Parts: sequence; C-alpha cells; structure tokens
Amino acid sequence: MMTLLAAACSQLVGAFVSLEGKPRYIHHGWFLISVANLVVIVLMIVVFVLALFLRFPGEREKR
Amino acid sequence: MSAQAEPTSWTGRVRRAVWAAYPPERLLPERQPAYVSSWVYVFGVLTLASLIAVVSSGIVLVIFGPAWWHVSSVGHFVNSLHLWSAEMLFFFMAVHLWGKFFMAAWRGRRALTWMTGAICFLASIATAFTGYLSQQNFDSQWISTQAKDGLNASGIGAFFNVLNFGQMLVWHVILLPLVLIFLVIAHILLVRRRGVCPPLPAKEPSSPAPEDPDYPRSPDPAAEWSGAKRRYDLIKELVSALGVVVLATVVLSALFSSPDEKAVTAARWANANPTDFLTTAVTELDKTSGVATYGPPYTHTPGTGQTIVGSISLARLAGVRIPINTARDFVLAPLSIGSKSDPPLAAALASYLSASPAQRRTWTSTYTKALNSVSFRGGAPVVAPGDYGPVALMMRDLLAQAQSGGLDGALIATNHFYQTDYTKPLLFFSDGTYLENLATQQNLLGSQWGMMNETGNYPGQAWLWLYTFWYQIPPFKTSENADAQIWAIMALLSLGLVLVPFLPGIRSLPRHFRVYRLIWRDYYRRAEAPRE
Repeated sequence: MMTLLAAACSQLVGAFVSLEGKPRYIHHGWFLISVANLVVIVLMIVVFVLALFLRFPGEREKR
Repeated sequence: MSAQAEPTSWTGRVRRAVWAAYPPERLLPERQPAYVSSWVYVFGVLTLASLIAVVSSGIVLVIFGPAWWHVSSVGHFVNSLHLWSAEMLFFFMAVHLWGKFFMAAWRGRRALTWMTGAICFLASIATAFTGYLSQQNFDSQWISTQAKDGLNASGIGAFFNVLNFGQMLVWHVILLPLVLIFLVIAHILLVRRRGVCPPLPAKEPSSPAPEDPDYPRSPDPAAEWSGAKRRYDLIKELVSALGVVVLATVVLSALFSSPDEKAVTAARWANANPTDFLTTAVTELDKTSGVATYGPPYTHTPGTGQTIVGSISLARLAGVRIPINTARDFVLAPLSIGSKSDPPLAAALASYLSASPAQRRTWTSTYTKALNSVSFRGGAPVVAPGDYGPVALMMRDLLAQAQSGGLDGALIATNHFYQTDYTKPLLFFSDGTYLENLATQQNLLGSQWGMMNETGNYPGQAWLWLYTFWYQIPPFKTSENADAQIWAIMALLSLGLVLVPFLPGIRSLPRHFRVYRLIWRDYYRRAEAPRE
C-alpha cells in the first residue's frame, strides 16, 4: 500500500505544471513583483468582488 | 436558580458563567439573522478550514521528522499540501479581514473580536515565517541570513535566533501553533458570544413611515437581533468549507508540487567558487568581515547596532548574546581538528597564533591581494610568491577541508552530541558572495522585494508586501538604520491594525467606502422599501 502511494506521489511530485526554473517577474522602475504573487493578489481581489456581487442562496424566515 | 442552588465552589461559578455566556443554542445555532446573506461571510469558515488543513498536514510532517520530505516522495507531497493549505489560509484570511473591515464589524462591543482576529493574522505571519526557516533548504538559509538583520536591529534577535534551526523548529511546530490555535478559539467564541455584527443603519425615509419589524432600519449592534432570521447549519458549513479546501489543496499540490532548492554547504561553495571562499575566509581570519564587525548580538564592535531615532538602539540594549569570534570559530578551530595529524599545519597554526597582531594583518593583507590573481591546481590555490607567513598554508588546508565536506561538520561541532544550531555556518556563508549570487538569480534580495518572493515561480509571502515596500523607497532605501526603522514602523502599523476599532478616522472609513451597502444589499432593499 505504502509502495503504491509512494509511486503515485512520486508522479505527483514531478508536478504537472512545473513552477521550477527561471523566475518570471514584472519589473517597472522600482516596482518588482513575481507573476505568481501577482496572480494570487489579483485572484484575491477577484474573489472578494465576486463575493460582493454574487447572489447568496437561501430563504429567509419571518420572525 | 434558587438562592440555595447558588454555587459556592470555584468550579460551580465557572460552570455557571460558561453556561450563561454560551448556552448550547448560541454555541451551535441553527438560525442566523437574515442579514447574514452574502458570500463575504464564508471567508471566515474557509480560513478556519484552511487552518485545519495546515495543522493536519503539519502534524504528518512532524510525525516523520523535518528531513523526511527531502528524501521521500510521499513526504514531498505532504509538504506540498502544507504549503498550499498555508497559501490558502492567508488568501482567505486576508479576504475575511477586508470583509470585516468594510462591515465595521467591531461595532457593538465586538472590538475584542476584531483584535483577536488581527492578532491571529500577525501570529499566522510569525508561524509561517518560522515554517520557512524550518524547511532545511536554500530558501531557509537565505531567509534566515536576511531576517536576522531586522530582528537583531530590534533587539529580538539576541533571544530569537533565526539561524538556530532547532529553536525555529520548536517555535514553528509547538509554541506558535499553540498560541495561534488558542487565539482562533478565543476569536470564534467571541463571535458566538456577540453574534454577527448587524448592518450599518439604513436610509431613513423622506417622510415618516412605519418600519418593517423584520428589518429594523437602525439595528442596535450591541443588542440581540430581533428581526427576521434564516436557517443556518454551522457544522455543515464547516464540513463543506473543509471539503473545498482539501480538494483545492490536493489539486494544487498535484499540479504544482512545492519548491525545494538544495541547501548550500561549505563544500558546495568551496568547490563552485573557491576564490570567493578563500577571500571570505581571510576576512574572517583577520576580523574585517561583515560578521566580525557586525556588533550586537554577535560582536563587541564600537559604533555598531542600528538606531531607530537619535541614539536609541535596541540592539545595543540587548547586548552581545550570541558571541562569535570569526577567526576562532570559522578558521582556527576547524583547522585545529586536522592539525592533530598534520604537523606542517600544526606548525603554521602555532606560527600564526604566536605572531603579533600587526604581523598577522600584514600576512592576511598580502594574501588577500594575491587572491586577485589566484589560480587552482588540483583544487589547491596557487598564488604568486610573497610574504604570506603561515596564512597561505592555512587557507589551502581550510579550502581542502571545505571541499571535502569536513568544514560543514566542523562549523556546527560543539561539545554536545546533538547539533541543531547553524548560526556559525550561516553567518560564514552570509559574508561571501556565493549565497547572495544564488539569491539574486531568484530575485530574493531586499532590493528585489525579496521578502515576498519564493524560489522558482511559486507564489511567496505576498502578505509581506508592506514590509518589503519600505526598503524600496527613500530614506530607508539608503539608510544605515533601515532595519531598525522599518521594524519600528511595522510594529506601529501592526498595533494600528489591532486597534482599528479605537482609531478615530480609520474606524469611520467603512461608512465612507460604502462597500457595506453591497454586502447587506438584501437587508437595505427590504429595510428601505416603502411600507404602508
């Protein structure tokens, strides 16, 4: 069981999308940010805005 | 309860107080006020679910030990789960914090709820920081050698030594998680005690009109909500959130894995860049290196120790608590190990130690100049003939010791069997350019906003953006006291975050932003609807 798990994990650890290698950065003047960090920050803002606008399901009850 | 039933014991009084504050229907409610109908409310429980995922994956890593994930594919996968669940923890915690700020959720005796939440955020940063230091790879090495300056400048470094792996691991797996879990429990209990903060007042109608009792226009934030309610299943919400977080963590771990840049060793450094190694070693021997002249907490160097304003130096106040003698610790002591079976080396060491300080400086100075045109034959340095005294032989043997891996062991050797403190080798490495060049390639320098970056293309500690921001702008960019000054600024700002409910102006901002009108739009639509 552990051997099977290890084999599966070794495949997974290889990473389907490799984030190793030469780092990708956005550089403008004194401002520098990694693409990965930018994606995370933009995603946070998008998720927050979606949470503001998307309708929340569920019904209300009277008092 | 009758007078006869009044508890007289401490236990009875505590039981009665707990029962009064947390009756079961308040602790595990099945109804919520109707205004709790926005997706913004789910980020709190998603944060809690992420914390459970972080702690669970962390427990597995602890069970198998800190080196496991470097040598086992299963371990590496569990480490990936730990990393991505931590990323999600900060992701959801930040969005949760934004939501609560825009709701001005500290109203109605809920200041302590906000404060415990803000302290949870700060404690999470400290926990994540010690986690990065406990990885045992290049990332840990670089972060520790950089972070030490800020901590030393604030005086904390004298007691909280980021270069001591054993100390950082214990903080990461025991002390800080205990504090964080305690704070989270206190935060959740306060939320249950006070209830969810009601909306800010709705617009009053232009002409007097009756109010919908289900949606009062100015609900008292300190009073129990008496309006409409909605069904709520707290346990189901937590289980659903946990399902989402676990699924996302597994998918992210399977897709992207986690970074693990190999740690730098003295052997790797000495083989990859022997000139840099020798140049650094000579400065350690003649005590002109960065560490040798660092000041507290390592050395007694006059005029050192960063100041915040004027002459206030917390570093000097803390004193030299981790004494380092670079010549003895980095060069002479390691060489003395080999000298026991190497008479020429023993003679060279004796010659160096018996020479006057001026003579030693002449030898090291001449040898340093000779290193500009050093070549290597069979791995050994070859310099132009000159008066180097015993220094040339000492440096040749130190290089050989480093290249063979012997120096790595010698630098952490103590009188004790178990070793967990890497202060000496990390300080030695930090004086060279090899470690820094590797960090530069990964955009990890302070001037590269490195504090928030990770090796490769992995997301890093985006939550440290403000901390690293100060290092990019004047006067801090060029200040010799930047670490101490930025530490002071961040301490003040952190205090400000905790005390937002009490800060005039700041606590009123949510009313001006009016984001709350979107969060509670359903409530406002009903409360402001014309009513006959």
